[in-house]
Amino acid sequence: MAPEDEPSPSGSAGPGSPDPDFDRRLAAFRTQIERAERGEKQAGGSRGERASPASLVGALRLSSEFIAGILGGAGLGWLCDHFLGTSPWGLIVLLLLGFVAGVYNVMRDSGFLDAGGSPPAG
Amino acid sequence: MVHADPISQFDIVGISGPLFRVGGAPVAFTNSALLMAIIVGLIVAFMLVATRGSMVPGRLQSAAELFYEFTAQTVRESAGNEGMRFFPFVFTVFIFVLCSNVLGIIPGSFTVTGQIVITAALAGFIILMVVFYGFYKHGLGWLRLFVPPDVPGWLLPMLVFVEVVSFWTRPISLSVRLFANMLGGHMAMSIFAYFVAALLFGGVWAVISPFPLLLVVALVALELLVAVLQAYVFAILTALYLNDALHPHH
Repeated sequence: MAPEDEPSPSGSAGPGSPDPDFDRRLAAFRTQIERAERGEKQAGGSRGERASPASLVGALRLSSEFIAGILGGAGLGWLCDHFLGTSPWGLIVLLLLGFVAGVYNVMRDSGFLDAGGSPPAG
Repeated sequence: MVHADPISQFDIVGISGPLFRVGGAPVAFTNSALLMAIIVGLIVAFMLVATRGSMVPGRLQSAAELFYEFTAQTVRESAGNEGMRFFPFVFTVFIFVLCSNVLGIIPGSFTVTGQIVITAALAGFIILMVVFYGFYKHGLGWLRLFVPPDVPGWLLPMLVFVEVVSFWTRPISLSVRLFANMLGGHMAMSIFAYFVAALLFGGVWAVISPFPLLLVVALVALELLVAVLQAYVFAILTALYLNDALHPHH
């Protein structure tokens, strides 16, 4: 993946390459690298691109973000009730809002919000 | 160490007697503290030995460089080049969580990250850092984080409130995810390990006792994967949240 083997277009020959054989070997080596990279990509197959750690992180995040939304909302509602004496409305309202926040978390993390640009209503 | 029930492996046991008291509660050197001391000692020893800096890296130095490169790449991708000022912090968090997850797999050991108080303390610290650094860097303008762009006016108050609740759930999801993964995985391992013993001493049933044993072996492999992945998730989310402190624009 790391583009460390990028061929520099101009400086390949170096300052006055005395050896004509050098260029030939360099070219051969480059094709060899290219072939190896291509082979690697094919060996990875269709799975190679999808199995990046980032997508795995996304999969692991989604469920917990949703659960955390509900838990967080319920906890906030309970705290609100406990300290402001709004029982039971704090818990009810904030639990529902936590549910909304959970769905919102999942939508954002799955890239749903970015995909469409502006929301359809606006 | 034999666990009769799957949850007793998470018991906090004092190794020393109460050393001193804080607000009437005794403070002792516990198995959790011992494991954390071992983890920190291992990390420090590893880093000291591995970063003596020879031009041709040996095995340990290569491993340390791998950790460095990997974390640096994660931070750069999530929080940009500006985020690299938090690199030492993210690296510390990552390697601490990674070591405690992996060391916890060793039978008879103790899983520090299987304690909600540890993961909640880590997550709470991270979120407080995000909040304080956000206000320090952007002043009140940091609150733009909670205002999503391109939203019709009548929906905005509601969405801002949802954004605030959503931000509040971040430390919860961060801490509960790591804690629950460690707790659940280790309990499953313990339960199936208990099956092995129960079947082995159950007369004829001893014949099928290798099956749960095989499952335990497979679970250990799975737990190793989960341990590394959860440490990575923790690190990448730390970097992502720090990115919100640096760049509050959506």
